[in-house]
Amino acid sequence: MRGTNAVLGATGLAVFLALGEAVPRLGLVKEAYFPPVARIAGALGDELSDDTFWTALGDTLTGWALGLAVAVSAGIVIGVLVSVVPYLREATASTIEFLRPIPSVALIPLAVLLYGSELRSVLLLVVYASFWQVLVQVLYGIQDLDPVADETARSYGLGGWARVRYVLWPTALPYVMTGVRLAAAVALILTVTAELVIGAPGLGARIAIAQNSQAVPEMYALIVVTGLLGLVINVGARTVERRALAWHQSVRGEVTV
Amino acid sequence: MRRLFTGLTAVTLLVTATACGSSDGSGSPDGSASSGGTTTVKVGIIPIVDVAPLYLGQQKGFFSERGLKLSLTLAQGGAAIVPGVVSGQFQFGFSNVTSLMIAQSNNVPVKAVVNGIASTGVAGKDFSAITVKKDSPIKSAKDLEGKKVAVNTLKNINETSVRESVRKAGGDPDKVTFVELAFDQMPAALDSGQIDAAQVVEPALATVKSQGGTEIAWPMVDVAPNCTVAMYFTSTQYAEKNPELVKKFQEATAESLAYADAHPDEARQIVTTYTKIPADVLAKVTLPKWPAEADRASIEALLKLGESDGLFKQTPDLDKLLP
Repeated sequence: MRGTNAVLGATGLAVFLALGEAVPRLGLVKEAYFPPVARIAGALGDELSDDTFWTALGDTLTGWALGLAVAVSAGIVIGVLVSVVPYLREATASTIEFLRPIPSVALIPLAVLLYGSELRSVLLLVVYASFWQVLVQVLYGIQDLDPVADETARSYGLGGWARVRYVLWPTALPYVMTGVRLAAAVALILTVTAELVIGAPGLGARIAIAQNSQAVPEMYALIVVTGLLGLVINVGARTVERRALAWHQSVRGEVTV
Repeated sequence: MRRLFTGLTAVTLLVTATACGSSDGSGSPDGSASSGGTTTVKVGIIPIVDVAPLYLGQQKGFFSERGLKLSLTLAQGGAAIVPGVVSGQFQFGFSNVTSLMIAQSNNVPVKAVVNGIASTGVAGKDFSAITVKKDSPIKSAKDLEGKKVAVNTLKNINETSVRESVRKAGGDPDKVTFVELAFDQMPAALDSGQIDAAQVVEPALATVKSQGGTEIAWPMVDVAPNCTVAMYFTSTQYAEKNPELVKKFQEATAESLAYADAHPDEARQIVTTYTKIPADVLAKVTLPKWPAEADRASIEALLKLGESDGLFKQTPDLDKLLP
């Protein structure tokens, strides 16, 4: 079964690449604006042998990792606080719903004004965008708490901290993991966007330079890199999720009763 | 509610704290001074041919011999540079002259310190041109009436200068439809007929020409002979607090400009270090002029055009703005 999937996946990718090669070659789109796959691959090879490319990749990953770490920690801590403290959830709900849909990109002028075109601007945007993903999932996760389990824990004399640790946290964890996976993807998007628009060092800035320089194949090569990065991050996030939830039925598989 | 606010503040603080670890506090001029009597200044620039003299001057030591170390930071366009300079993230920045005048008329405290680039002043051989597709019926700027013309930013230097070209050719600029489009997208848009004409600058201009597009007018030449297009600037606060540093930056940049102007091949070479312009395109690129001094008469011409096109809230004060 797994083998079939891999073959299907590879075939799909091959067809996609062949299309990418054929469409410009047949003149359906102009080669000057959409170079065939082979030329993009060539440009990608040049990029990979360039030291400054690896520095840019490092900058992007730094922005992504720092931003995600801050967003996830803040999201979890604030999410648990908001849910546990009485009335706080009701009091903050409308504010959260107001702040959450504000596109992070709209904060670019603020970020530039505060931090110029450096890492801190990127972090501001990344944290703002990915924080909500985690927070909302944490809130939903805790809402899902089984009252019977909670009451049972209470009657066994578990204290506040122990209930958070042994009842609340395991209930919320699957949601938190979903939040982290979403946040990881959003963080990457925002890192590249911030670099592209503000010019902070990284892959995004490199794409912008290629674009300004009329270096079309290089531009697509860098875009492919961001795509691959997204793929790696998604696979990584799923692995982490599976590991952390190895005990959970969604991962363990259905147990027939 | 208050809890949430505290939480958000904590997030912001966290962000700041995390970031502080990775970058040495820039911003304050005192903070940027470093050992050995050299001062590092951050300059916000756009990764285009225009700023080649700074890279060249840095390589030739024109800045280090005056105790200056340049930290050239690439930004995407003036939209990121002006706020960066005003808030002290950059000590200097690169911007076109009209943007600086617009900023000043909006009471944004900017002060131009030294020349940036100038037009070549030669019709047919400038770094900026109005171009049309191969075999287009549009033959002159007058024919642009009723047509769709792309400029990179509306209500700025390129729109006013294109309007002047239309005016000089005997046309009515109000009959031209201007659309905003990034320079790098203009060749494709022109080629596919989405726009009738485009005001492009290098290196997009070289791409348009290589596709068989033709130049019909040279707006910067129409504005004034030897038109000063862009300058390096700082904030008025920084200029007042650090007159010595500004003077050193001025002198070193002027020397770099003169050197780049006299050694175009070296300038072309250094462009490859910070852009990705393909070698065959770069060879065809028309370089701008890099005179050491800004041409005040041309800036006055730009000011008049800006006024007649309604760009300014109040008349910019050139005595205060220019060095």
